[in-house]
Amino acid sequence: MSLHRFHAFAFLALAFMQVTSAHAAQLVTDLSEHQVRIRSNFTGTQILLFGAIEVNNANERSADRDVVVVVTGPVQPVTVRRKERLAGIWINNDALTFPKVPGYYAVASSRPLEVTADIALLKREQIGIDNVNFGTPVARGLDGDPKILSVDDEKNFAKALIRNKKREKLYNADPGGIVFLGQTLFRATVEIPANVPVGLYTATVFLISDGKVVDAIATPLYIDKSGLERFLYRFAHNDALLYGLIAVLGAALAGWLGSAVLRQR
Amino acid sequence: MQIYLPIAELPVNVFVILAMGLAVGFLSGMFGVGGGFLMTPLLIFLGIPPAVAVGTQSTQVVASSVTGALAHWRNSSIDFKMGGVMLVGGVFGSFAGIAIFRVLTKIGQVDLMISLVYVVFLSIIGAMMLTESLRAILAARRGIPMPANRGGQHNWLHGLPFKMRFRRSKLYISVIPPIAIGFFVGMLSAIMGVGGGFIMVPAMIYLLRMPTSVVIGTSLFQIVFVSGLTGVMHSVENQTVDAMLGLLLVVGGVIGAQYGVRAASKLQGEQLRAMLAIIVLLMGLRLGFDLVTTPADLFSITDAVPHS
Repeated sequence: MSLHRFHAFAFLALAFMQVTSAHAAQLVTDLSEHQVRIRSNFTGTQILLFGAIEVNNANERSADRDVVVVVTGPVQPVTVRRKERLAGIWINNDALTFPKVPGYYAVASSRPLEVTADIALLKREQIGIDNVNFGTPVARGLDGDPKILSVDDEKNFAKALIRNKKREKLYNADPGGIVFLGQTLFRATVEIPANVPVGLYTATVFLISDGKVVDAIATPLYIDKSGLERFLYRFAHNDALLYGLIAVLGAALAGWLGSAVLRQR
Repeated sequence: MQIYLPIAELPVNVFVILAMGLAVGFLSGMFGVGGGFLMTPLLIFLGIPPAVAVGTQSTQVVASSVTGALAHWRNSSIDFKMGGVMLVGGVFGSFAGIAIFRVLTKIGQVDLMISLVYVVFLSIIGAMMLTESLRAILAARRGIPMPANRGGQHNWLHGLPFKMRFRRSKLYISVIPPIAIGFFVGMLSAIMGVGGGFIMVPAMIYLLRMPTSVVIGTSLFQIVFVSGLTGVMHSVENQTVDAMLGLLLVVGGVIGAQYGVRAASKLQGEQLRAMLAIIVLLMGLRLGFDLVTTPADLFSITDAVPHS
């Protein structure tokens, strides 16, 4: 944690402690950054989420009280393909497209999720990597025609999707990742890897008490390419022809320069 | 030092890319090859998505072939008429290649196809180069001169219609074979991100029976335009040309080529050619190995719609 972030944290923590509320228990949270800029030196980053639980009654029992943080990235369709061996070579065969897959998903909790709430609640709130709803998938065979896969098979594809995302460090689960400082203050670090998709993210903090969601706060987080990276990406997608022409002419110019240098020697 | 590539969407080490550009540029200067067939697999090994490797590589091919073509132009060793005829085929070929690329991307087989085409060509070219250079080394040891390339012979290709006179090449042949060669190489260029000199040069020597002195210059002249067109089309169709990566490759390649050209005049050709052949074969084997061994994870994921 940088000194700058630590100061912000300490300041807000103090501010939170002085606030009193009429509710039984309420959350106050914030992120160390609301915007991540991907520049040419971007190799991933960490975001600090911090907050406090405001309690009216100081004597209230706080043992069965959990904080869960879920950070989700932009949702988009993702195709999962399964390789099969054909004539000795592994080739992509069946493909299953899930319509709404978060590009990024991180969950951190004060205790393991199983002991926090029952599965119905976790599924409803989409808390936990295995409880994210990817939507109804569409399966296609090697020939591209729609195909019906068994439910078990579809589960294999969903598991593979999660496994691949975890391997790319885009899906993370950190039970115990919420660190409490005393009774009310807590913080969590969210790892943002270098290959993170750009877009609008949401960091949602749940306060769960006795198996029920007592309070929840959602905070937006923008991750976007910046500077030259943003310019090149936009240029390549919005003005593809001009971009291609400039890239090729630039390369030709470099080749000509190389030739000129070669001749002088 | 890491740098984030805006199109490939991942950070790479600048020095690794520059070193690769230098090494491949050195080899391309030394052997007069474009080097695309070495660079694209290297980029894929490094984790660059194959489609981005192919698209970006075309800019590097443009740079190195411009350097080469200018040198041959000054030596007036380019048959512009022949190059122009082949270019007609090349333009159609690269359109066809891009169309194939697009269809295969859609059905999720583009990575497989790139690997397969590379395995086939790297193995064939590597094996051919190795046998040829070994034979030359053995012949040199025994003191037997290599049989000279017999020009002026006729084969069945010379019986085809639409004949045209190519003064620079001293040929009077049908335009069908050069157009067909151009088409095939243009297609490979779009699919593999290569210039295709390694196919075109032997084809021009052995099939068209062009004089060796104009073959390399003419093929480079053709490559400049075909790979330029391919680069633009990859940009428009697939948005897979990474300007940042291309810049690093071009800088490394241009510098490396200068030293390669100078080294070529000092070092023994046949041994080096045998070494290049072994490198090419090993890369083919490595790619082939990846195709037949059971992958660590049978499942792979891709974004179904390119994000905007």
